Amino acid sequence: MRAGVIRAYVIKEFIELMRTKLIIMVYLMPSMILLLFGYGIKMNVTHARVIIIDNDQSHYSRILTTKFEHSKYFNPIIKNMSEKDALGLIKKAEADIVIIIPPSFEKKLLKSEDSEIGVFIDGSYPARATTMANYAKGVILDTLSKEAKKAGIKSKIIVLNSRFLFNQSLRDANAIVPGLIGLVMLVAPAILSALLIVKEKERGTIFNFFASPLSKSEFITAKLFPVFLLHSINIFVLFLLALYIFEVPFRGSFLLYWLSSEIYILISIAIGMLISVITKRQIVAVILTVIITIIPGFLYSGMLMPISSMKGDSYIEAHIFPVMYYTHILYDTFWWAKGLNRQKLSIIFS
Amino acid sequence: MWAFMSVLTKEMLLFFRSAGLVAVILYAFSMDIYIAGSGIQIKPRNVTVGYVDHTNGGLSQKILSHLHAPEFRKPRWFKSQKELSEAIFNKEIIVGIIFEKDFANSKGATINLLLDSTAASQAFTTLGYLQNILLSFYSSNMPVKIKIHKLFNQNSDNRTFMALTEMLSVITLLIVILTAVVFVKEKEDGTWDIMLLMPVNSKVIILAKSLSQVIIILMGVLISLGFVVLGTFDTPLNGSFWAFMLLTFFYSFSSAGIGLFVAAISKNVMQVAQLSIIIIMPLIFLSGAWTPIYAMHPFIRWLSIFSPLRYYIEGSESIFFRGTSFFDLWPYFTGVILLGILLYGYGFRKIGRLF
Repeated sequence: MRAGVIRAYVIKEFIELMRTKLIIMVYLMPSMILLLFGYGIKMNVTHARVIIIDNDQSHYSRILTTKFEHSKYFNPIIKNMSEKDALGLIKKAEADIVIIIPPSFEKKLLKSEDSEIGVFIDGSYPARATTMANYAKGVILDTLSKEAKKAGIKSKIIVLNSRFLFNQSLRDANAIVPGLIGLVMLVAPAILSALLIVKEKERGTIFNFFASPLSKSEFITAKLFPVFLLHSINIFVLFLLALYIFEVPFRGSFLLYWLSSEIYILISIAIGMLISVITKRQIVAVILTVIITIIPGFLYSGMLMPISSMKGDSYIEAHIFPVMYYTHILYDTFWWAKGLNRQKLSIIFS
Repeated sequence: MWAFMSVLTKEMLLFFRSAGLVAVILYAFSMDIYIAGSGIQIKPRNVTVGYVDHTNGGLSQKILSHLHAPEFRKPRWFKSQKELSEAIFNKEIIVGIIFEKDFANSKGATINLLLDSTAASQAFTTLGYLQNILLSFYSSNMPVKIKIHKLFNQNSDNRTFMALTEMLSVITLLIVILTAVVFVKEKEDGTWDIMLLMPVNSKVIILAKSLSQVIIILMGVLISLGFVVLGTFDTPLNGSFWAFMLLTFFYSFSSAGIGLFVAAISKNVMQVAQLSIIIIMPLIFLSGAWTPIYAMHPFIRWLSIFSPLRYYIEGSESIFFRGTSFFDLWPYFTGVILLGILLYGYGFRKIGRLF
C-alpha cells in the first residue's frame, strides 16, 4: 500500500467527481431527503374532514357537534344530507369521517335507552383510520361522561394519564429525524461507491487498472476513500440540520455519534462494493442499490414500527441489517444519553 | 412506421439480453413489494408491557388480562416505578402501567401510563388500544353505543395498503431511471448525436425508445398485480382493472417525460442516478403515498398540484379501495394526462436538441 500512489488516484477520483458535478448531489441528496421527510411525514392526525349529519338537532346533539368543532383534530362540517350522499363523498375522497346522530337521540339518552351513533371512516390509510377512530370515540365518550357528571349521574370512567417518555410532545420531527439520518447514510455512500467501481467496469477502463502495477487493495482504497471523506462531512451537515432546523434535542455524546456514523459509512460503502461485484452495468447497480437500501432502511430502522413487533422472517431480516443497530445508537445519542453499552452491537456488526 | 417498430424491437431486445437488468426488475416488482407489504403492521403486536400494582389486585388484574396475544406479551410485574422507567430506558418494555393505591375508588379511577415514544406511531396506536380496552370496561353503563365502520378496509389491513404504495413508488422510480438511462447510455457512447442526424425522424426514435421502457414497466405491473398485490395480499380491487391500467399508462408517460428531462441534462449514468433520485424522492414521499395531502403543510400541498404521482396515487387508491366509478375518476385522469403532456412534451423537445 503505497501512500503516494493512493494519493495520486484519490486526486484523480476527486477531479472526476468535480467534473461531473456529482459533488453537489452528494450533499444535496441527503439534506433534501432529510428536509422533505422531516417536514412531510406527519403521523399525528389533525384537521380530519368530518361531516356530521345531525338527525336529532337537540341540546345534547349540539353539544356533541360543538365539541368536534373545538377539537384541533377535526374539521367538521354540519350538513343535512342523506347517508348515501355522505358516504359517496368519502368514496370521492372528499371527506374522511361521517358521523350520523340518529333522531330521538336525546330522548333515548334521557330515558337511558340504547341509541347508536354511526361513525364511518375512510379506511384507505389504515394507520390514520385507526387513529381517527380512536379520537372520535374519545371525543364522544368524553363529552357524554362530562355531561353525565353535570347531570349528576354517577358514571365511573377511567382516566388515562399518559406520559410519552423521551418525546413528550410526540413531535413528529423528534421521532423521525434520527431514523432518517440512518436511512440516508445507508443509501448515499452505497450508491456512490457502487457507481464509481461499476462505471469503470462498464466502460472497460477497469482493464487499465488490472494492467497497471496498482494492487487490489490500493485500488479499492483509492476508489472508496473519497466517498468516505465526502460523507464524513455529511455527518456534520445532517447533524446541524437536525439540530437547528428540526430542533431535535441532542442529549448524548457527540463523539459516540461521530464514531458510530463513521463505522456506519464504512458498512454502507461495503454494501456498495458488494453490489459492484455482482453487477456489470451501471443502471443495474443503481436500481439494485436503491432497492436493497431504501426499503429495508425504512422498515428495519424502527422508525415506523419497533422491531419487536415484527413477525418471523422480517424479524430475522431486521437483525441482519445494520440499520437497526445504527438507528438504535442514534436514538440513544439524541434522546437518552445512556452511552457506551449500545456501542457493542454496532462493533460486532462491522 | 417501420423505423418506429425497429427501434422499439431493438430496445426490447437490449433489455431482455441483459439478464441482470431483467432479474432486478423482476425482483423490484415482486420480492420488494412483498417485503414492503409484509413488513409493516400498524396494529400493535408483541408489545411488551410492564406494570406496577399498588392495589390489591382484582380490578387491575382484570384489566391486565385484557392485554393478551397477539397484540401484547404477558405483562411483567415490576416492584416500583423507578424499575419500570429503567426497563423502558433499556428498551425491555414499551409500555408501563402504574396502578396507584387509590385506583378504583368511587369517584373514578386514574391510571398512569409511561410509553416509549421511540416508535411514535406504535406508541400512539397502543395508547388508542388501551383506551379502547378501558372504555369498554366502563362504558357499559353508558346508553350510547358507538358503531365504527371502517370503510373499504374493515380489518385495517395495512399490508395491502403498503403493497400498493410500494408498487406505485417502484413504478415511478423505474420508469424515470430506465427511460433516462436508455438515452444517456447512447450519449455516453457518443451514438446519440449520430441518431439525431440520421435520416430517420428523431421524434420517431425518441418516441420508440421511451415507449419501449413504458411497455416493460407495464408488463412488470401486470406481474406484480397478479402475483403479489392481488395474489399474496388479497388487495381488494373494488374498481375497474382497466381503469387502473389506463391510468398507469398515462402516468408512465409523465414519468417518462421526467426521465427524458433528466437524460437531457445528464452526461453520464452517475449523474442520472443522483439526479433522478433527487427528483423522485420528493415526488414519491410528498405525493400522498405516506401521508394524505390535506394533512400536509399548506406550501407543500400547493406544490403537490404539479406532481403527477399525486393524481396517480389518489386515483389508484380510489380504484382499488374506494371502488370509485370510472366516471368519477375524471379529476385524476385529467391531472395525469395534462401533466403528462406537459412533462413529456418538454422532455421530448429538450432531448431532441443537438446541443
